[in-house]
Amino acid sequence: MAKIQSPPVLSQIRDARNYSEQASALRALKDEIIGHVQRKEWWIENGILESLVKILQNGRSPTRSNGKERSHIRPPEALTEDEGVRLLSLQLLASFANSGTAFLGPLHAVGVVPIIIPAISPADNPPQVVLTALRALRNITASTQLALQGADDTSGLSDALFSSCSLGALCAILSQESRDAVVQEQKSLVASLIGRLCKTVHHQNALADSGVLDALATMLAGFVVARGEVIPGAEVLGQSDGLAHLIPAPPPPGADLALVLEALSTIIANSRFRSYLLLCSPAIMAVFPSAEFTPPATESRTAWNSLEMSGLGSIRAANPGAIDYLLPAVPVPQSRSRSGGSSEYPPLGFSLSRDNLAASGRASTFKFTGLDAGRPDVSSEDEDSDEPESPFIPWLIHLVRSTDGLERVMAASLVTSLFKAGFASPEREQALAMLVVPLLCQLMKAHDKEIPASVQQAAVVAPDTARQWAIRERTPDVLARLVGESVALQQAAYDCGILRMVVKLLKVSYEPQLVQSAPRPWSSTPERGTDAEEGLPACRLGPPGQMPVNAHRIKMRESALKLVAGMATLSNNYREALVEADAVSYIVESLSPSPGKPKSAKEKPASEKEAEDAADNKGATSRYGHNPNAVIMAACHATRALARLPSIVRTTLQDHGVAMPINKLLKHPDAEVQVAASSAIINLVSHCSPMSRPLLNADLIKTLCEHAHSLNPGLRLNAVWALKHIVVDLGNSERKDCLEELEPGWLIQLISDDRPERRVTDADDDEDMDTETLYDEVSHSWTWPAMTRITAAAGPSARLQQASHKLSALRDAELNPARKSRADSLAIQEQGLGFIRNLILLLIPSEQNEMVDHLFTELGQDRLFGILADKLKVRVVGALGRRSARNNNNSSNTTNNTLVLYPQARIVENLTYILVHMAAAAPRHRQLVVAQTELLQLLGGHFASKDARVRQALCQLFMNLSYLESDGDRQPCSQRARDLQAMGFLEKLERLERGDADLAVRERAKAAVAQMKTPTA
Amino acid sequence: MSNWNAALDLGGLDIDTAFPDAVFAQLRESFGRMNSSTSTATPLQHAFEKRAADVKAPKSDINALILDYLTMEGYPKAAAKFCKEANLQPQQPDPSIQTRQDIQHAIHSGNIETAISALNGLDPELLDTNPELHFSLLRLQLVELIRQCNGGDIAPALDFATKKLAPRAATNRDFLSDLEQTMALIIFPHDTLQPELASLLSSDLRRTTATKVNEAVLVRQNQRREAAIRQLVRMRAWAETSARSKKKDLPESIGLGLNADNMEYGESGHEPMITT
Repeated sequence: MAKIQSPPVLSQIRDARNYSEQASALRALKDEIIGHVQRKEWWIENGILESLVKILQNGRSPTRSNGKERSHIRPPEALTEDEGVRLLSLQLLASFANSGTAFLGPLHAVGVVPIIIPAISPADNPPQVVLTALRALRNITASTQLALQGADDTSGLSDALFSSCSLGALCAILSQESRDAVVQEQKSLVASLIGRLCKTVHHQNALADSGVLDALATMLAGFVVARGEVIPGAEVLGQSDGLAHLIPAPPPPGADLALVLEALSTIIANSRFRSYLLLCSPAIMAVFPSAEFTPPATESRTAWNSLEMSGLGSIRAANPGAIDYLLPAVPVPQSRSRSGGSSEYPPLGFSLSRDNLAASGRASTFKFTGLDAGRPDVSSEDEDSDEPESPFIPWLIHLVRSTDGLERVMAASLVTSLFKAGFASPEREQALAMLVVPLLCQLMKAHDKEIPASVQQAAVVAPDTARQWAIRERTPDVLARLVGESVALQQAAYDCGILRMVVKLLKVSYEPQLVQSAPRPWSSTPERGTDAEEGLPACRLGPPGQMPVNAHRIKMRESALKLVAGMATLSNNYREALVEADAVSYIVESLSPSPGKPKSAKEKPASEKEAEDAADNKGATSRYGHNPNAVIMAACHATRALARLPSIVRTTLQDHGVAMPINKLLKHPDAEVQVAASSAIINLVSHCSPMSRPLLNADLIKTLCEHAHSLNPGLRLNAVWALKHIVVDLGNSERKDCLEELEPGWLIQLISDDRPERRVTDADDDEDMDTETLYDEVSHSWTWPAMTRITAAAGPSARLQQASHKLSALRDAELNPARKSRADSLAIQEQGLGFIRNLILLLIPSEQNEMVDHLFTELGQDRLFGILADKLKVRVVGALGRRSARNNNNSSNTTNNTLVLYPQARIVENLTYILVHMAAAAPRHRQLVVAQTELLQLLGGHFASKDARVRQALCQLFMNLSYLESDGDRQPCSQRARDLQAMGFLEKLERLERGDADLAVRERAKAAVAQMKTPTA
Repeated sequence: MSNWNAALDLGGLDIDTAFPDAVFAQLRESFGRMNSSTSTATPLQHAFEKRAADVKAPKSDINALILDYLTMEGYPKAAAKFCKEANLQPQQPDPSIQTRQDIQHAIHSGNIETAISALNGLDPELLDTNPELHFSLLRLQLVELIRQCNGGDIAPALDFATKKLAPRAATNRDFLSDLEQTMALIIFPHDTLQPELASLLSSDLRRTTATKVNEAVLVRQNQRREAAIRQLVRMRAWAETSARSKKKDLPESIGLGLNADNMEYGESGHEPMITT
């Protein structure tokens, strides 16, 4: 049998006397295993991997330090003998890695990834070796992604691939100019690895900083050249700032545009800094300078003109650029300014305090908390926001229109990232709604096909099918990101019938699996099933992975859920339509790691108990796949978005029993899942929700209070937020218990400290300074690498200088941990104040008095008022003596560090309402508030607040303060009114009554003025 | 069958470099004639023919088309010669065309093991990622083994089928029926076979497998599976069919302009061309 003939080959590989002998043995082995899974298994069990790894380790001899350029491709015969042997070993490893998840265990046992990584450096290895090493990595990645739950973690791979030493190699591969097919495939593989593996902010930044982003941007610019769409005159313009020579050559035929777009969009996702880095990447600047453009023919302009004449729209910026002439004219409603990114949101449905609205609007689509890195204070800290839009953006829209399939999806994904980062001009929203959204919807429709049974049972998927699937998986995801916060874009998607389509997608993704794992090949020798535990790890095969089709379904499920959430963020109509289309049954199943058959509410088991049992019994062998954390989080988000409409909470979500699964998720081991679940809880426990009681019985308050003490700021925020909603429906004794559970001292910290984690970790000041020092050095020594490269060659240019300044500012805004924690802390403070506000909001006066008194005893009356006054003060941060002294050699840095922070409107509003509720209690409480002269004086400054809700709250406060409860209170009441008048508040209120823009403010001011005047008269 | 199809089918014929040489010389000649138009026009020229004659394809395009054909179909020597003559840059690096031709040759001559080994050398991922292709090669190898044992010792064929083919048959229904059919060859005498079994022994199986292999290699190399000219021919056939079905004003038959002697009314020209 096979065993008899094979060991000679193994020993020939192990103990070969020379390379050629070894090579011929390896070649024989290659022919034996390629395409033969059983032979591969046999060889693994016989310990082949260690020999292969040894060859690769020994091959890395320092003989190649002669610095010879390997830019030309040599035919395989021209490899040196040791290179040939290394190539063969890599090919064998790649082949083993290609045969499925079962092989991952032994491969990792011999440490295959760190062995392969050095081989991807094009400076040290011939092109074929680099190519094969990349293929091996790609195969390992693909197998890992098919692995079962628990083994499907690619973070180890990405850590290895995006480490500082291999980033250089990636960059070198992408920057090769050779048009040879081998080099082209290397580039494609690198791009696809980035697209698959880059998942964390850390890696995104590493890729951006190391120049990989620039190299990819250069490749993209090559496609622009190939399509003949470089801005006319770019070369002349480029001459002046040394960019002209950066216009790249067109890529050779067969280069894959979709991969480049995907890699770029993966890197820049969710970051203004990285988006801008792409926009001003030298090659992109070179092909897309912002230049004036006069079209040779005037007809193309006629369309725009006629639109303007008929009052349908205005020509953007009065001067469309060259690329705009490639796009059809789109009418822009003049009345509407853009809705994305601003806080002008239509009502989001029910929420007890209106401050939720803004806060939930601020959260970006895929964040589960109000925390959003860099965003809240960007507006105040960005210097030049009126920079002209780059022609890159209209070009991408044009690309979406003129390509098809995966290219179209990826182009849309890239333009979405840039639009979300705010680099598109506001009028683009309309263009995206008219030109991009319908095309994406159309793609979804076109790819809505049955998967034939033969493909469902195949362990290997043909490349064509894989591409089809990728389109199906990615399109809803891109669409979800695009429409997330925009009325116009959601409307466009709705008009394309997206809601029905997305529910259909969910349904398809919940079709029962035909087979769960690939059929085993038949064997003439009976299988020895018992030796799974025997042998060395390097010789022991692992469990098989999932079928590709099942993995595809899970990904589809995830992105469909994201789209459900994306469409349900703003409009009640869409929420209701989704519920009617029965999206909720799929969402509920997606909340559980092992889903069952999606059922409509009627089919649900009668009792909660039964449902629980069923969920537990499903076990690991669900026919509906295993929901990874990404799906669970997407389902949480969808629940949260739908739950913004209280009638849905009371009916559909309640009928489907959403509460318990989500409550379970609050204790999920993954913190991100916890954050997602708690964000959904926020909306589920809002006022009068039928879910509150059962959840409270399930110890919800205890869980949330634990979360409120967590180190994770997102979790802290959501927990306090949810508690804020919960306390409203509680009686006094329960409120007291809740405060007790949260710990009054902790509440004080949450609302007072800028960085509670400093106290949490008990870190002393020095340590804290250390982390800051570390960041300081990194950030302030950061220079734009591309800038140095170009100015060294062509001298400084204004265009680049400007870009470089803005980049540094954006980088600081995003990566400065101090700023990030400040933003986190502000959001939590807002909710903390809201919690106090709701805590003392009661309709029965005696209970309210009791609660206010309780609050004062627990938190300390003076301390509370002190903190509140503190919140209203303008603060200057960053001007620490130590730091400015350190940076005095560079004066511009010092000014960068200093930052003036004005109190945020939402905080002021919440704070005012706390006082409003206090003043609504007993007269002595009113007295107490009036006595806080400093606090009131500070509040007085906010009569001029731009935010109408703040002004409203202030009017309410003075109305309450001057309220006459009983005859006994007459004397003190008029005293209070006199005091307030003396502080100048009457005058301010009268001014509001006369001239405020907001009707509600005027009305309340009127009432307040009337009341203040009454007792004195 | 027109000369065109004959010319295009020569990818499947046994190879003699002199033959394609001759063919491409003839092709160019015909193209040249087509372009220099007007030459031997019949007095009653149809409007369509006039328009067709007015279209002048640049010679460089035609040269590129011919080179593309030679390269894609795997005639390295002819391609090199042609390049030299027409002053063109070769499309692919030479060794890979040569390897492809070697593989084709090995399959055509029934030497499947060599072909597989060369294929693994050229592109080690191909057979790993394309089980169907691998199966058809292995089945062809089984057919060759059966052919060799012809009535004698069937042990090698059986052993091969047990080890290499049977495990796969369990994973795929199509594989199973293919294997069963092939195994029938062991049982029945080869001279009295049913047509579908006989077809396994004919050289067609080798040829189709070779074409499949060639296409698969090309797809992995530059994402195009066949020579551009094949597509042009199909497009022409489609255009003619759809024009006729819409009752456009066309001459009764449109010649291909390949046969110098009977240009318009050759026996091949009566029906719209049908290609697969």
